[in-house]
Amino acid sequence: MSVMNPTQELVPPLAAGAATPRSRRADTRAPKHLRSNLTGYLMIAPMVILLSIFVIGPLGYAFYLSGFQINFYQAPKFVGLQFYRFVLTDDDFWSSLAVGLKFALMVVPTALVLSLLLASFIKTLTKRASGTLKTIVYVPAVVSPVVASVIFLFIYQDEGFANWFVGLFGSGPVAWLNSPVSALPAIAVPGVWLAFGVSTLILLAGLLDIPDSYYESAELDGANFLQKLWYITIPLLKNVLLYLLVTGFTLAIQEYQLPLIMTQGGPVQATTTPSLYIFKNFRDQTPFSTSFSLTAALLLFVVLGAVSILIFRLVSSDKAIDA
Amino acid sequence: MHIGRRALNCAMAAMVVAMLAVTGCTSSSSGQKTANGAVIVNFWQQKFEDYQQAWFKQHVDKFNSSQKKVHINYLVVPADTWAQKLKAAQAAGKQPDVATTNYGAIPAGVKNGQFAALDGLLPAAALADIKDNVKGFVHVNGKHFAYPMLVEPSTVLYIRKDLATAAGLDPNTPPKTWAELVTWATKLTKGKVKGMTMASVAPDLGWSSWGLQYNACGHLPVSPDWSKPAATDSCYEKVVGLYRSLYQNSLMPRQPKVGYADATPYGQGEVAMMADGSWAVGQLKQTWPSLVAKTVVAPFPSVDGDPTKPTATLGGWTLTVDAKSKQKQGAASFINYLLAGDPKIMADFFQLTGFSKFTVRESVDQALAANKAATSDPFMKVIADKVVPYGKAEPAYPFDISLAMGKAIESAMKGQSSPGAALKTADTQIGRVIKQQNLAGTGPGK
Repeated sequence: MSVMNPTQELVPPLAAGAATPRSRRADTRAPKHLRSNLTGYLMIAPMVILLSIFVIGPLGYAFYLSGFQINFYQAPKFVGLQFYRFVLTDDDFWSSLAVGLKFALMVVPTALVLSLLLASFIKTLTKRASGTLKTIVYVPAVVSPVVASVIFLFIYQDEGFANWFVGLFGSGPVAWLNSPVSALPAIAVPGVWLAFGVSTLILLAGLLDIPDSYYESAELDGANFLQKLWYITIPLLKNVLLYLLVTGFTLAIQEYQLPLIMTQGGPVQATTTPSLYIFKNFRDQTPFSTSFSLTAALLLFVVLGAVSILIFRLVSSDKAIDA
Repeated sequence: MHIGRRALNCAMAAMVVAMLAVTGCTSSSSGQKTANGAVIVNFWQQKFEDYQQAWFKQHVDKFNSSQKKVHINYLVVPADTWAQKLKAAQAAGKQPDVATTNYGAIPAGVKNGQFAALDGLLPAAALADIKDNVKGFVHVNGKHFAYPMLVEPSTVLYIRKDLATAAGLDPNTPPKTWAELVTWATKLTKGKVKGMTMASVAPDLGWSSWGLQYNACGHLPVSPDWSKPAATDSCYEKVVGLYRSLYQNSLMPRQPKVGYADATPYGQGEVAMMADGSWAVGQLKQTWPSLVAKTVVAPFPSVDGDPTKPTATLGGWTLTVDAKSKQKQGAASFINYLLAGDPKIMADFFQLTGFSKFTVRESVDQALAANKAATSDPFMKVIADKVVPYGKAEPAYPFDISLAMGKAIESAMKGQSSPGAALKTADTQIGRVIKQQNLAGTGPGK
């Protein structure tokens, strides 16, 4: 029996207990595979510790607290899973989830299509023109949602721009924000406006990574714009689109600033997104509402996780072919 | 790469220091003292009309300079952030020692153990000075848990005299019934000026319709002991019908810019009539004084024209001391100075409000008796004689019940459901609130 040394020489096995000075030194140190990973562990340690303190710990504590009716002035009362039943049997909770999903379905695909078209256009421009357009496109991303809400509130007023515009066609005035039918689409418009700046730049970066030779080959084969888009651009942007879909959906479902400022969740709950539903419940001063909103927030966390998993399943991520 | 134990220890120590810095390990200010040795009492005031903040600030400064034992830290909190700010502070144990609290929140707050009883903290004479019809608002289980500041009816009708006359209506004989109100609103709706404005979103409808609910049904949509919902009583369809008629016939703004409590649409001439609380008188006098002479104030019409039926609830504000405060006596001494002490202080306040709010102490009434402006104010006289005597106290049940009714009214107003279906939904929601929050048998009635 023998072992191979690093220089590939065959050496006889050592007798039990006959360790050399070199091997004794090696015995006092951690195994090599652990030594090589130590740097990695140390590098991620700060983030793991911070995540444990600020995310994992509070999340676990929140699940623990959801078993109690919390009262800031009296001892909390253990109620088990009662609040989960209350939230899950509340029609308004499900209605808010539906509103959040509808809002996300209005905002995310619209923003992605607009961003892809705009990014494709910017790619064809000269360096100077594309630089200017990129700056302009990015401006909404640095505008606060609060400011955007106020701007669009003015746009939707009876004498605002939106009613002036529909008035050109002999319609209106429309109560954009006070009709259960039009309120959600009306707040989705600033949602798209705020979102498409960042997604345009990310998609542009993805487009610039696709080698021109692919398009040149396709052109030689007689491919038109749609065929190039379908067979080259979209498959090679799959990972970027997946990222934008997951982050876009989770952010859009959680949107609350726009409906809070523009409609306060109305009319008739038509714009009460899940986060706004939780927020409105939290504002109530009863101990009941504290535990109720906490439990609803935990269930929203589960729903968002499920939506993200679903999107990952539907759009499976691949390693880029040539990037 | 090999990292030594010493380096690792240093890194861990640095991380702990950084985390402590991030988490900001500070303690509550409760129990702290100023450099001069005065105990610090934190006072949070919900933001009201601008002139009120000036009045509070002036008197906080006067109180702080008048003695050396207590120092008031005064903070104005916007109304739309009040609830979450207070709750977050309570969760962190940093709630204010003294806070503005509305009457409706007192019974629930007492039940939760949130307020300190003021008996023993305030002089007995100060508590005895509270008017009998207000005592019940702050008196729970035989103790005073708040000191009242003012009373204001939630619903009064404001009419533009000039517009009414131009429409062939006599502003001196205002509408008496809800049907007449709709007729007036129809005649007054011309061009961009709507005939009427009142609440149109659920949170506002929830509380501003209390008076009308009492008016149509004689009770609120829950049994007196809070054991059963009562929203399907047919009388509530009349309440819903009034809002629905005004909204669906475009007799009120379909897209209001402000909430019910704000008189801006009336002040800016966008509407000819307005349902608003008595506080709107103060806003008109302060912001649009030229409109005062053009305005008639009247009780809100009654469902059947009976002027003795309630049309408004009597709401208002108090100061409460937090049950966890370490400076209860200091907090009470400030309340005693501001609300319960020299009657001239509160008399000046009511003068400042343009007599749009009502006194809660006998001694303040006496101080105002000699004030000609108070006794001759036409708005105050109408509200005092024709609205306040028939007003009801705000309900003490959780706002979820009021919100269920607000949602029902809004849903029917905006055509999402029929009045009957909307009220049935409200009834189910109220039943759910009763069950989940264990309200059965906890109401004030039998």
